[in-house]
Amino acid sequence: MDPRTTEVSQLFERFKAAILRKDFDTCTKLLSQLKIALTGFKSLPPSFEKTPNAVHELTLARDIYEHAVVLSVKIEDQDAFERHFFQLKPYYTDASGRLPPSPQEYPILGLNLLRLLVQNRIAEFHTELELLSASALENPCIKHAVELEQSFMEGAYNRVLTARQTVPHETYVYFMDLLAKTVRDEIAGCSEKAYDSLSVNDARQMLLYSSDKEVVEYIKEEHPEWEIKNGFVFFQRAKESVPCKEIPSLQLINQTLSYARELERIV
Amino acid sequence: MTQDVEMKEQQPTPAPANPVSPTSPSVLEQLKDISALIETGAYTREVRRIMRAIRWTIQIRKKLNVSVLSAFLNSAFVPGSEVHSRLAAYIPKEDDQDMEVDIGTSVTLLSKHSLPEIEIYCYLLVLIFLIDQKRYDEAKACSSASIARIKNLNRRTIDVLASRLYFYYSLSYELTGDLAEIRGTLLALHRTATLRHDELGQETLLNLLLRNYLHYNLYDKAEKLRSKAPRFEAHSNQQFCRYLFYLGKIRTIQLEYTDAKESLLQAARKAPVSALGFRILCNKWAVIVRLLLGEIPERTVFMQKGMEKALRPYFELTNAVRIGDLELFKTVAEKFASAFSSDGTNNLIVRLRHNVIRTGLRNISISYSKISLADVAKKLRLDSPNPIADAESIVAKAIRDGAIDATIDHACGWMISKETGDIYSTNEPQIAFNSRIAFCLNMHNEAVRALRFPPNSDKEKESAEKRRERQQQEQELAKHIAEEDDDEF
Repeated sequence: MDPRTTEVSQLFERFKAAILRKDFDTCTKLLSQLKIALTGFKSLPPSFEKTPNAVHELTLARDIYEHAVVLSVKIEDQDAFERHFFQLKPYYTDASGRLPPSPQEYPILGLNLLRLLVQNRIAEFHTELELLSASALENPCIKHAVELEQSFMEGAYNRVLTARQTVPHETYVYFMDLLAKTVRDEIAGCSEKAYDSLSVNDARQMLLYSSDKEVVEYIKEEHPEWEIKNGFVFFQRAKESVPCKEIPSLQLINQTLSYARELERIV
Repeated sequence: MTQDVEMKEQQPTPAPANPVSPTSPSVLEQLKDISALIETGAYTREVRRIMRAIRWTIQIRKKLNVSVLSAFLNSAFVPGSEVHSRLAAYIPKEDDQDMEVDIGTSVTLLSKHSLPEIEIYCYLLVLIFLIDQKRYDEAKACSSASIARIKNLNRRTIDVLASRLYFYYSLSYELTGDLAEIRGTLLALHRTATLRHDELGQETLLNLLLRNYLHYNLYDKAEKLRSKAPRFEAHSNQQFCRYLFYLGKIRTIQLEYTDAKESLLQAARKAPVSALGFRILCNKWAVIVRLLLGEIPERTVFMQKGMEKALRPYFELTNAVRIGDLELFKTVAEKFASAFSSDGTNNLIVRLRHNVIRTGLRNISISYSKISLADVAKKLRLDSPNPIADAESIVAKAIRDGAIDATIDHACGWMISKETGDIYSTNEPQIAFNSRIAFCLNMHNEAVRALRFPPNSDKEKESAEKRRERQQQEQELAKHIAEEDDDEF
């Protein structure tokens, strides 16, 4: 093994040890050093040169980025997550012929799906989904995210929240917590339109708070327009759209004139 | 995915000026005529002649065989010359004795100073022949060689031939399953075509690249390329159809259903009648997109000639969505799972579940003025540990999204539907009417713009002055339309 690879491996061992100690500051510092060291390897993307230790270097680099993704979840940095994930992705797609598959691949892909869901980037969510094979979709980590999205679209929010108990991987908890917040806002938005009023007790259950006080606080902060009276929450219903009484004359005149002009050209 | 490859091969347009005479000259004679046509086209710089030559070639492609090809090569190039030996190497050897006869008659009809157009045409001919003979590895070698040759040529009259070569180049790699290999070359070719203002080449190459990306489900990359590549008025109808289809697919995946529907329907409508496979594919996607939009496609869509069988799974799917029956939907999805996954629409069908629930809910809301949530859950057949709570939140979301007009009484567990308003008291019908008129007028204008008048048709001999006058009028009209197009609607 050539000295540079050994050096990177040693650095990586220290990085892993720091993660176990939960010493995230050291981790971040070591990670930047590792990234700089990786630029010296010619076998990595995008050049993919066929050097003798290519497989070893690629595996090492993939391992490093996988840990980087997990680290960014632990320090709760979504931007770093996105960056690291994109750096990692070529190892799963373009280098798949050169490397044995990583056991971390599906958990990390599932994590990314979850992140897109939390950030409400549904279009990207589906684009990523198309890249997965049928067997990948059967994987519990991926399936979890896919089912979440479905329940979310349907409006079956209970299922989204109960899914938190069945997370396939410990790193998922961070995003699930974020998702719970999104879900709460969604429920509040739906309730506003669907109910005339709710008892505070019911609202508490629906918004998944443990005490009435939290509900009142939440309403004050997020929805000051709601009214709380005699143990009931009254929603300010949006004004019904009244049937149009007025004729949009100017628009109609414009349209009719353009029809006339077009017709003249045809005849 | 393979169906739409066939589109180009089944061109409906017969060669207009050169109908195959009843006596049907030998294939070799026809090939010579074609190369003469290309030669005149090359000297007079009339691209249309070369296009006609290609159409004619496609007509006779089924009649090609080894002896005719080698005889043609012998007549086009000096036997033993570099070009000749390079091309002849790709033709499989055949111990056929009638070769003699052909060579005997093939005394140099063509001038031997071979034009690059003729050379490229021969490459194209050999390539088509190899693909038809299912000799894909030779086809790959031949197409790669031709692409290498084309890179060094910069003549406008070659562009048409080149765009065809690109197509077969990609096809031969697709047939052997190595599409990913040529992505770099295609991108380089696209860049060259852009620099040379070869719009037909750009169009073809962009489509090939999109196809290449979509083959591997790389929707992200495809969309990035598509949105950044230069667009212009389409030159070839076939290429435009494909572009629309790929665009529709990308937009579907990215949940822009309204735009996707427009592109897919337009692609299906514009495609030539004979390109059945392509139209079926467009229809399949269009049906799903319309379902996702909450529309129910008409029965006639599924009853189009030659499509009934292929669209059967989608017909049953539509039926399930229309009724809003989750059970039925599940059975259909399972029953045709293999068909859906070979069409690559499996993930879209998963998305449809949500629409099935919506339709079911809408039916319930129309039929009942007041219904308990437990009944709603039962009617929707929600299979979950807590159906009533699920039903409640699903109904709440449907209300917020405007799918149904109702309120929920939480204490009693009821859903109370509201009276539906009279749609004719709003501006809605007026808007719908306007959009239809606009569509028709636009269609007419495009048809006028697409008309082409042959400069010297035999029927009416108009004087030069008269013609100039008429052309001027036409130009003015076209300009007029183009100008007004910008500020209307």
